Amino acid sequence: MRTRWFLPALAVSVALTAAACSGSSDSASEDSAKADNAAEGAASTGSGPGAGSKKVGFIFVGPKDDYGYNQAAYAGSQAVKKAFPDMEVLTAENVPEDDNATRVMEKMIAGGAKIIFATSYGHLDPGLKVAEAHPDVAVVGQGNFISKAVPKNAGTYFGTVYEPVYLAGIAAGKATKTNKLGYVYAFPIPQTIANINAFQLGAASVNPAVQTYVVNTSSWCDPAKQAEAAKSLFAQGVDVITQHQDCTATITKAAEEAGKMVVGYHADASSLAPKGWVAGSEWAWADIYNDIVKTAKEGKFTGSPYNANYRAGCKDGKNPFVQSKFGTMVDAATKKLIEDQKVKICKDGSPFTGEVKFQDGSVMFKAGEVPDYAAIEKANTKFVKGVVGELPKN
Amino acid sequence: MSTDVSGSRSSTATPPAADDDGGASPAAARAAQRRVLRWRPDNGFAAAALRLLVALGGAMGLFAVLMLIKGVNPLAAYRDMFTSTFTSSTSLAGIAVRATPLILAGLAVAVPARAGLINVGGEGQLIMGGVAAMGMSLLLDGAVNGPVALVLMAVAAGIAGALWSGLAAILRLKGGISESVTTLLLNYVALDIMYFLIYERWKDREGSGQPATRALDKADRLPLLGDTRLHLGLLLSVIAVVAVYLVFRTTSWGFRLRVVGGNPEAARRAGLKVGVLLLTAMLVGGALAGLGGFTQLAGAEFKLRSGFVLGYGYVAYLASWLAGHKPIGVMLSCLLLSGIVIGGDSLQLDSGLPAAGVNVLMALLLLGVFGFATKREAAR
Amino acid sequence: MTIVTEVFTGGIRGGTSILYAALGESVSERAGVVNLGTEGSMLAGALAGYAVAAETGHPWLGAFAGAVAGGLLALVHAYMVLSRGANQLASGLVVLFLGLGLTSLFGVTYVQAVAPTFSPVAIPGLSAIPFIGPVFFEQDPLVYLSYALVPLLSWFLFRSRWGVLLRASGERSEVLVAHGHRVRPIQYAAVVGGGMLAGLGGVHLSTAYTKAWFENMAVGRGFVAVAVVMFASRRPIRVAGGAYLFGAALALSPALQARGFGINQFALDAVPYVVTLVVLIVFGRRQLRDVPEGLSKVFDAQPTR
Repeated sequence: MRTRWFLPALAVSVALTAAACSGSSDSASEDSAKADNAAEGAASTGSGPGAGSKKVGFIFVGPKDDYGYNQAAYAGSQAVKKAFPDMEVLTAENVPEDDNATRVMEKMIAGGAKIIFATSYGHLDPGLKVAEAHPDVAVVGQGNFISKAVPKNAGTYFGTVYEPVYLAGIAAGKATKTNKLGYVYAFPIPQTIANINAFQLGAASVNPAVQTYVVNTSSWCDPAKQAEAAKSLFAQGVDVITQHQDCTATITKAAEEAGKMVVGYHADASSLAPKGWVAGSEWAWADIYNDIVKTAKEGKFTGSPYNANYRAGCKDGKNPFVQSKFGTMVDAATKKLIEDQKVKICKDGSPFTGEVKFQDGSVMFKAGEVPDYAAIEKANTKFVKGVVGELPKN
Repeated sequence: MSTDVSGSRSSTATPPAADDDGGASPAAARAAQRRVLRWRPDNGFAAAALRLLVALGGAMGLFAVLMLIKGVNPLAAYRDMFTSTFTSSTSLAGIAVRATPLILAGLAVAVPARAGLINVGGEGQLIMGGVAAMGMSLLLDGAVNGPVALVLMAVAAGIAGALWSGLAAILRLKGGISESVTTLLLNYVALDIMYFLIYERWKDREGSGQPATRALDKADRLPLLGDTRLHLGLLLSVIAVVAVYLVFRTTSWGFRLRVVGGNPEAARRAGLKVGVLLLTAMLVGGALAGLGGFTQLAGAEFKLRSGFVLGYGYVAYLASWLAGHKPIGVMLSCLLLSGIVIGGDSLQLDSGLPAAGVNVLMALLLLGVFGFATKREAAR
Repeated sequence: MTIVTEVFTGGIRGGTSILYAALGESVSERAGVVNLGTEGSMLAGALAGYAVAAETGHPWLGAFAGAVAGGLLALVHAYMVLSRGANQLASGLVVLFLGLGLTSLFGVTYVQAVAPTFSPVAIPGLSAIPFIGPVFFEQDPLVYLSYALVPLLSWFLFRSRWGVLLRASGERSEVLVAHGHRVRPIQYAAVVGGGMLAGLGGVHLSTAYTKAWFENMAVGRGFVAVAVVMFASRRPIRVAGGAYLFGAALALSPALQARGFGINQFALDAVPYVVTLVVLIVFGRRQLRDVPEGLSKVFDAQPTR
C-alpha cells in the first residue's frame, strides 16, 4: 500500500510548490507587462503587424550550435540583437516542426514579441496557425512557400540557394577525376531538389561526362546515417561529395579521411578538410533579418516584399547564401570561369538556362529560356538528367 | 534479491491496492476493496506529502547546481519558470493541450496495470491511432465531413490502438511472450509504419516535399473550446479518466481485473476467466491510447508528419507509474509532466539554457519520486 | 566493391556501436536488471569520449572516459533499482531522459571541436583475403576490440567463476545467499559494467564512426541494442550476429541508393524489431526458459497459466 497516499500528496505538493513560487513574483511580472505596454505605445510608429515591437522571437528546429543551418540562423538573430540594441531577442532551439512550435511561438508572443522568425522549412504550418490567431504579429517563415493567399501578417523569405551551389558545382566538375559526384541530402523538398539539379548542371557545364549520385538520410541530422551514405557513395567511385542537411561535420570529415574532396554547405568548414575542400556556400542572414525587423517595427510589414514569398538572389545583390572560400586545388582559371558565370547569372542568366532536361528526357526549360526565380522554384520537382538516383514515389 | 512472492509482485506492475491480502478469495478481495473505498486520512498522507516535497526539493536543488555550473542564476530561472508558466493563460492552455493525448496514453498503461500487465506500448498505440484516423480521413476523401467523419476517425483510431495492444496480449496468452517486450518492440514497428506511409504512399503531393500527409479538412478537426487552443479532445480525455475511475470502482470487470492483478492463480481457482480479463484489459488500454492519437491528430497536429507524438508514450508510461496507476492520479501526473515541458520553454527563453536541459529537470524529479518519495521496498 | 561486400562491411561498421551496447545490456540482464537507459549510456559515452579525446588529444583516453561516463549513468539506474526498489523499466526510461538532457546541456561546446579519432587500420595479411578481408579486417581499432570482447564475455559469463556468480544473481539469488555470497554488489557490478560497455558503444559512434559529437546522435540505437539482446537471448556470440545483421539492414539503404535505386528505407528500419518479434514468436517458449528468473519478474508480471 505504499502508494495509496501518493496521489493526493502529489496534487498537494504541486499546488504548494506552484503557489509558493508564483506568489512572490506575481506583481513583478505584472509590472514588467505594464512597462512593456507603455513602451509599446510610445515607440509605435505605425499599426501594421509587428509595429513598435520591443521583442523579436526566433525558433530553430535544431540546436543553435549545429555547425550548420541552425547555427547560421542563430548568428543572424544575434546580428538583429546588435543592430537593434533596444530590442530583446528571444531564441528557442530544438523546436519540432509540429504543434509544439505553435506553443513556443505563442509563448514568445505572450511575452511581448510581435515579430516571429520561424526559421525551419517545416515551421511554416504552425507559423501560419499562429499568424491567424494574432493579426498584430508578423510571422515570417524561412525557406518554405505559401501557396495559397498570403495573410496580411505573414510571409516567407529565402535566398536563391541554387545559385552559389551551381557555382560550386562548376568547381566540383573541374575537380573530379572519376566524373562521379555525390550528394547526401535529408528530404526531397523543392529547394534540395533545386540544389542537386543546380550542382549537376554547374558541373556538367564544364564537364559533360559528370554524374551526381544521390543518397537521402530522411533526417535533418543523423550522423551515423550520413557516415554510411558517404561510404556508399565513395564505394561507387564518387570523389567529390556534398550535402544538404543541418549538421555537416560528419560528411566533411569522412571525405577528408577517405582522401576525397568535399563541397561545403551551410558553413565554411574548410578547416575540417584542409586537403579535400573544393568550394562551398554559406549563410549570411544578418541583412535580411535586420531589414525584416525594421520593416515590421515601422508598421510597414503589410504590402512589403516580406509579406509574400520573398526571394533574394544575386540579381538584387541580396542573396543571403554566399560562396565560401575556395580550396587550394581550385586553380586561377577555374576561379575566373566561376566569377564570369556569377556575373552572367546575376545580370541576365540563370543556372537553369535552357535547355534543361529531366532524367526521363522530358524538357524542364526550353532551349534559350531563362527562367525567373518563381519558375525555377516551381519546376524543380524531379531530378535533371545526369543525376543518378530516384526520388521517393508518391 | 530475494525471491519471495510479495517482493516480486511489488517490483512489477501490480497495483499496490491488491498487496495487502493478495485476493486469496473473492470474499477477501471484496473486503479489501471496501477498505480501499473508505477514506481514511491518517499519518500516511502527511508522510507521503512530506516525502514528495523532499524529493521534489532535492531534484530542484540538484538542478539548481547544474544551472550554476552553466552560469545561470537558479533563483531567477525558477522564478521566471513558475511565473511564465502559471500566470499565463497561453502556457496553461499549452499544458492542457500537451497533456490531452498523454492522459489517454497514461490510462492505456493504468488499465492493463490493474490486471498486472505492463504496457510499454503507449507510443506505438498512439501512433497507430493517429495513422488509422488519418487513413480513415483519406479513405473518406471528403465523402462525409464534420461530426460523422470525426466519429469514424475516432472509432478507427480506437480499433487500431486496440489491435496494436491486442497483438501483444495474444502473444502473451498464446505464445507466453512478455507483453512488456512485445509492446516495446511494436512501438518501433508502428513508428516505421507511419514513416513508411508518409514518406511515399500518403505523402501530400501538393505539400512541401517533406514527408507529411495532407492536412485534415477544417470541418474534420476537433472543435476548439472557446477562444483558446484547447480542443474537444481535452474533454474526451477527462471523460475517459472519470469513466475508468468509475469502471474500476463500480463494475465487476474493474474488480476482477484487480483480483487477477493481485493473484492470478487465486483468481483462476475462484473461477475467473483470467485470459479474457487480461485480453480485455489490454484491448481497452490500446483503444484509449489509440483515441489519444486521434485527439492529437484531429485537435492539434491535423496531419501526420515525422515527430508525431514522439516520446509521448514513454512519458505517459512514467506518468502512470508516478500515479501508482490510479486514473485521477494519471491525469495529475500528465499535467505535471506537461507543465515541466512548458516550464522548460521558459528555461531557454528566459534563462538561455539549452532546450534539452528540461529533460534533466524532469528526470531528476522522477528519480526523486520513484526512488525517494515512496517507502523503500522491504524485499530489496 | 560488390553490394554484398559493401553491406557486410557497413553492417560491421554500423553494428559495432549496437554490439557494444547490446553486450552491456546482456551482462546487465544476466544479473536480472533490464536497462532501458542503454541509449542514455551510449550518449554519455559518445560525448565523454569525444570531449576527452578533443581535450587530451588521445582517442584511447576518450574511450576510457566514455566507458566511465556510460557506467556512471548506469550506476544511477543500479541504485534506483537495486537500492531503492524502483521499477526497472520506468527507472531505465528516466535514466535515458537524464542522459539525453545532461549530454545536451554539456555537449554544446564540443559540436565544433575537432578531436583525434579512430580510423580504419587494415590488418596486414588478413585484409588481403577476398571478401573476409575488407569486411572484417579493414575496420577501426574499436571494432577489433569488440572482436576480442565477444568471446571473452562469452567465456566470462559461461565458463568463469565470476560469470557463474553473476548469472546466479539474476537466476537463483537465493542459492547465492545460501552460499554466503552477497547478491547486490554483484548486480551493481553487472549493471555498471553493462553501462560501461554501452558507453564504449557511444564512443565508437562519435569518435570512430561519425567523427563528431552531436546532440541525441544515437537516435534510437540504444533501443535497437535492447531488441538485439532479446533476439539473441543474452548470449554474446548471438548478440554479435544480431548486431551485425541490424547494422547491415541500416547499411543496405544507402548502398542501394548509391546504385540508383530509390528505396523507402523505413521498411528496412523496422527490420530489427520485426525480426526480434518473429524470433520471439517462433522460439518464444525456448527463449522464455532462457530468461533469468530475476528478469521474468520484470517482464512477466504474473504467470498466466
